[in-house]
This record gives sequence, C-alpha cells and structure tokens, in this order.
Amino acid sequence: MNTSVKDTMESTFAGWTETVGNAMLEGEARMSTRNTDVFYGDKQAIFGVDLDIGKNEVLAMIGPSGCGKSTFLRTLNRMNDTIDICKIKGEILLDGENIYDKNMDVVSLRARVGMVFQKPNPFPKSIYDNVAYGPRIHGLVSRRAELDEVVETALRKASIWDEVKDRLDQPATGLSGGQQQRLCIARTIAVSPEVILMDEPCSALDPIATARIEELIAELSENYTIAIVTHSMQQAARVSTRTAYFHLGRLIEVGSTDKIFTAPDHKLTEDYITGRFG
Amino acid sequence: MTSSSLFLLLVLIVAVSYFFGRKRSEVVAQSVGGIRHLHSLPNYYGLMAAVWAGVPGLVILSLWVAFETTVMQGIVFSGLPDHLKTLTGPQVNLFWSEVYNLRSGAISAPSDPALLDAMAHITTLEQQSKIGKAVMVIALSVLGGGIGWSLIRPTQKARNQFEVVLRTLLMLSSMIAIFTTVGILFSVLFESVRFFREVPITEFMFGTKWSPQVAINAEVAGSSGAFGAVPLFVGTLMIASIALIIAVPIGLMTAVYLVEYASRRVRNIIKPLLEVLAGIPTVVYGFFAALTMAPQLKTFFEDVGVNGVSSESALAAGLVMGIMIIPFVSSLADDVINAVPNSLRDGSYGLGATRSETIKQVVFPAALPGIVGGVLLAASRAIGETMIVVMAAGLAANLTANPLEAVTTVTVQIATLLVGDQEFDSAKTLSAFALGLMLFFTTLLLNIVALAVVKRFREQYD
Ligand SMILES: Nc1ncnc2c1ncn2[C@@H]1O[C@H](COP(=O)(O)OP(=O)(O)OP(=O)(O)O)[C@@H](O)[C@H]1O
Ligand SMILES: [Mg+2]
Repeated sequence: MNTSVKDTMESTFAGWTETVGNAMLEGEARMSTRNTDVFYGDKQAIFGVDLDIGKNEVLAMIGPSGCGKSTFLRTLNRMNDTIDICKIKGEILLDGENIYDKNMDVVSLRARVGMVFQKPNPFPKSIYDNVAYGPRIHGLVSRRAELDEVVETALRKASIWDEVKDRLDQPATGLSGGQQQRLCIARTIAVSPEVILMDEPCSALDPIATARIEELIAELSENYTIAIVTHSMQQAARVSTRTAYFHLGRLIEVGSTDKIFTAPDHKLTEDYITGRFG
Repeated sequence: MTSSSLFLLLVLIVAVSYFFGRKRSEVVAQSVGGIRHLHSLPNYYGLMAAVWAGVPGLVILSLWVAFETTVMQGIVFSGLPDHLKTLTGPQVNLFWSEVYNLRSGAISAPSDPALLDAMAHITTLEQQSKIGKAVMVIALSVLGGGIGWSLIRPTQKARNQFEVVLRTLLMLSSMIAIFTTVGILFSVLFESVRFFREVPITEFMFGTKWSPQVAINAEVAGSSGAFGAVPLFVGTLMIASIALIIAVPIGLMTAVYLVEYASRRVRNIIKPLLEVLAGIPTVVYGFFAALTMAPQLKTFFEDVGVNGVSSESALAAGLVMGIMIIPFVSSLADDVINAVPNSLRDGSYGLGATRSETIKQVVFPAALPGIVGGVLLAASRAIGETMIVVMAAGLAANLTANPLEAVTTVTVQIATLLVGDQEFDSAKTLSAFALGLMLFFTTLLLNIVALAVVKRFREQYD
C-alpha cells in the first residue's frame, strides 16, 4: 500500500475506536467472528471485525465497493483458503466451534455453510447435473426419483423451474446471466446448508426475479441463517433484520435494519445511506 | 546487380514511397482544413503508397528468381545439336553440372565441343537476365509508388484498403502451411503409385511378411522381396500404445499435482526439471533403453520364469519412449488445467466438494478438449519416434503380439530403407514412400477421431 492511501485511511479512522451498535448479540449466535483480520499478502483487507450472526436472522452487509464485504463473507466458510496469499487471524465460530481449528473438516463445513458467489459460475455440465452436484457428492439421496425431486424443489425455490424444466439436460452455460445466477442459488440450496452466504445474488436479475429471490430469502430465513451482501439499500431494507455497514475493511456500524436506515449513529453510515458517499 | 541488392533497393523505394505518401496526405489535408478532414490518418496513406511500390516489384522479383534458371536452360537446350537434345532425366542434370563445372574451371576439357557453346550461351543469357530483372523491378516499383502517390486524396479510404491488404497477407501466410502439406502429400503419393505398380497394394496392406532387403539382389535366385507392411504397423502400434499407457496417466497426474496441489515453491522446482526431460536428445534415451532398460527387463523376466525374452524388445522401447513423452502430456495438460477459471473451482468447493471431486467432476471435463490435444500430440510423437526404436527394439520385422519380442516400426524401416546410397527407383526405396503415405493417413485418421471427440464434448458443454 502506498503512503498516500495509508494516510487517507489513517485520517479517515483517526477517531475510529470500535464498531458502533449491537455487533454482538445477547442470545445465542449461529456464527461469530472475534477480532478477525484478513490479509492479502502484505495488504490488510479486514481490520479486527467482531460480529455475530443470529439464528434465523437475515444479516445484510452493505458498504462501498472494495470495502471487503466479499472478503469477509468468504472467510465465513473458509473459501479464502483457496487463495494462496490470503491469511486470516482471529477466531470465527460456528455454533461455538472455531472453524479455523486444525480439526475442522473444511469439506463438511462448506456443506453446512453454503455460498452463492458474486459472479454466476455454473459448471460446464447440464442444468440438472449442476443442481444435482451437491446432493450427489454428499450422498443426500439414494434413488434417482428422490434426486429428481430435490432438483425440482431447488429449481422451483430459485424460481427458475418454469424456464428450464424442458431443457434440464442442456448445458447450463447456455443460460442467460440472470438465469445462471438463479441456477447457482438453486445449486446452493439443494445441499440444504444451515447457513447461506449470498454475495449480491440479485445483481443480474430483473425486478420480478429479484422479488422472487427476496421471497425465497424470507422463506429460507424461517429455518436457515442468511448473510447477504448487497449494493441495493432497498433490498437490504426489504429482506434483512439486521444490517452491517463496512468501510475500508472496518465494520463501522451494526444495528437493526430499521435503525440503520432511519437513524444511524455513525457519520460514515449516514453519509453512505443518504448517498453522500460511495 | 544481384537479386539481394536489388531487393535492398526495392526496400529503399518502398520506404521513400511511404515517406512521400505520408507527406502528400498532409499536404492534401491542408487544402481541406486539417488532418481530421482526411478519411484516414496520414500513416495509412503512407502505408498504401508503400504497398503500391512494394507488391508489384516483389512479385515480379520472386517470379523471376524462381523461373530464370529453368527458362534460360530451356532456351540453351533448344539450341543444342540434335544428339544432345535427346538427353533425358538424370542425363540432363549431368549435362548441366558439366557445363557449370567447365565454366568455373573445375573441368578443363569438355567431353563434347557443344558444351563450350552451351556455356557461352548460358553466360550471355544470365547477363541479360540480370539487367532485365533490375530494370523491370525498379521500373515497376517506381511506377507503383507513383500510382500510389497520385491516388492520395482526402476521400481515399486508405485505412480500409490497408485492412484488405493485411487480410490478404494473413490469408497467404495460412496458405503456406497448407500448400506445403499438399505438396509433400502429392510427391509421396506419386512415388507410392510407382511402388504399387511393382507391388500390389493388397499385398502391401495385408501381407504379413516384410523383408525388403532381398529385393536389391535381383540376380539371387528365388528372391523377390516381401512387402507386407502389417508387421510394421503392428510394431508401431504396440510401441506407441505402451508409450501412451505410461505417459498419459503419469503426465496427467503430474499436471494435476502441479496445478491443484503443489505449492508455488515445489512447482518452481518441478517444472524446469520436466523441461530438462523434454530437452534430452532421443539418442540418449535410445541408449538408455538399449543398454539399461532392455537388459534389466530381460533379467527381470527371466527371474520370474519367463524364458525366451529377447534382448531387444518392444517393451523396453515403449517404456523409455513413454518416459520421453511425459513432459509433452504434462506441460500441455498443465496449461489447459491452469486455464480452467478459478470461479468454477470455487463453485465446487463452496458446495463442499473435496479437491479430488472438484478435479474429477469440474476441472477435468472443462479441460478435456485441451487434454485430448495434448494426448494426440504425444501420440504423434510416439508414432514418429525412430531413434529409441532403432536402438532398443531392433530391425526385425516380427509379427507378434508379445511385447517381449523384438519388433520394428514404420519410421525405423523408412530410415533404414533410405540410409546409404540407393537407387531411387528400386521397389525397396519406393516402399519407403508407400510407408510414409500410410503413416500420413494413420495420423490423419487419429486427428480426425480426436477432433470428433473434442467437438462432441464442446457441443455438450459450451
Ligand atoms: N484475491 C485477492 N488478492 C488480492 N487482493 C484482493 C483479492 N480479493 C480482494 N482483494 C482486495 O481486497 C479488498 C476487498 O475486496 P472485496 O472483493 O472483498 O470487496 P467488496 O466489498 O466485495 O467489493 P464489491 O462491492 O465491489 O464486490 C479490495 O481492496 C481488493 O482489491
Ligand atoms: Mg464483492
């Protein structure tokens, strides 16, 4: 990092001490991070984040582009392990267990904490095989009929079933960008993870498909824990119960969605919400 | 003036045309109110003027150089006395080498006085040709440059015209490879037809006995030579298959390890080492196969109770050849596996798949077309390899399915048939061309099959 950027960052955070709001929950949390730092090589991308994600909660993460939302999300199911230069410090707990513990089985962790990526990444396989991929490798079903049902349910939930039901055996790479995004959502929920991490799942969707995905999120939140990154304030306001605001790798403020969008405590949050920044 | 200095002069004219074309476009631009009112940038006008100056001159120059000798010799020949006009084929070549030797002083006394006339005649013609060529080329390129220069006006679509010129150039370059292939194919085809006039094609393709050595001693009673190519193709297939069975799995696994598992440090050590392996001359592999591998195999198999193992064997050659082509498979597979986007791997890991599941189900299918290409390249290397086989598998054309016996391959036979002084019209040497033709069709078939495989896969997944 060159000095000028460092200077601006330090001046921005000259008065910054700690996260404003209720980052830590009173009751039981499904996932929590404690003093989490993330580095790409020498460059630090996340600075000492403490955050709880409650059971049956939809947590929205907002913040300007490049502030580290995706990076933070990816640490929650150890997707950053695949990046050589990425190093993580601090604790991240899932149901009280440290997921960065030596004994943690990364493979089953990722089956429990599923992820929808920022860019749609369907496999070069048929639509059916894309959705069946997870259930197959985890042996979730024993018969073809069961698998058919799992695939259909997942595709219906992601509201793409009607568009693809006649072409399940065709390559998924032939779908449109928005269809691919919904397919990737279907692929993730077909594994029935306990926690679902979504990185801008609606960035390529039209308003109707977006509304359906938001319905899906509401429905899923009855049984699952969801963390969603979004650039749409309206979406954050509609789907989430709590909202976290990130800025240049710091968690600035966390609070109930109502409070964040009506009366934020921190100046940076307010600037962002009201469109004076980012 | 020699052709090369003429060429340099041509380059100079082209450069000058470019310069003046460019200048003129700038001058022309003034009259219409500046460069932005020209259709194209001044550079393109210069380039078009250069093209006009260069292309006609260059075409004439190369045609002239290509045909001048043939034409001049033709003229001289038609003026020769009758007893020399009847010369044919190789005799004509002898005649001309004598003429040129006479002129350079290598021979002092001509075998025929007509040779002196021919020498004088060709020397005059060469002088004339030289002058004619220089005048023609310079005139054409200056004229061309002038035309190009005079065409320049603000509305000339120089930019688009230059695009057409470039496209033609690119197309011509792609033609070179095709024409060469077709040329080679036809020359081989031509010689093969001569061979098949002497040996029936059915005997060649289905005969199981190969012993062309006998054929040159036509006087020896009862020797007609046998040209059944089956043992050679069986030998080739056997050795190449053994090599591929070794190289494909090891090469692919090496690539997978290097891309998916190895740390950067390990990769930086292993990759250069593999390149060293690819750089070892095949002769070295050959004596490794013959002196180390083959005796070891013999001892090993005799220890386990298999008798009659030949000291030269298909197995030894195949194993060593397999090691030789590992780097081909691994470095190509490495490239294509590396090219599979990381987002696909992320998608798979994100669903809780292990590394090997991800490789098997996502990375490999995505990389398959490239992998097939690599395997194909390795296969053609294996089929074409000669040295290792000569040294380790021998020259005996046995028809056998036993990899422990000595066998020989098509390329080895081609090499041995053409080594040394041979008459190029005996059945023995001609059979080399027939073998070459068969080899050509075999690799062609291999390519077609592989392309079909890749295409089917692409259609499914792209
Ligand atoms: N693989 C990587 N290697 C190095 N630096 C990275 C890598 N991925 C992200 N970064 C850096 O980390 C910082 C945070 O990136 P991140 O992708 O988390 O931002 P984001 O908040 O998700 O942005 P956006 O809203 O644009 O998606 C950026 O400065 C980025 O340049
Ligand atoms: Mg992001």
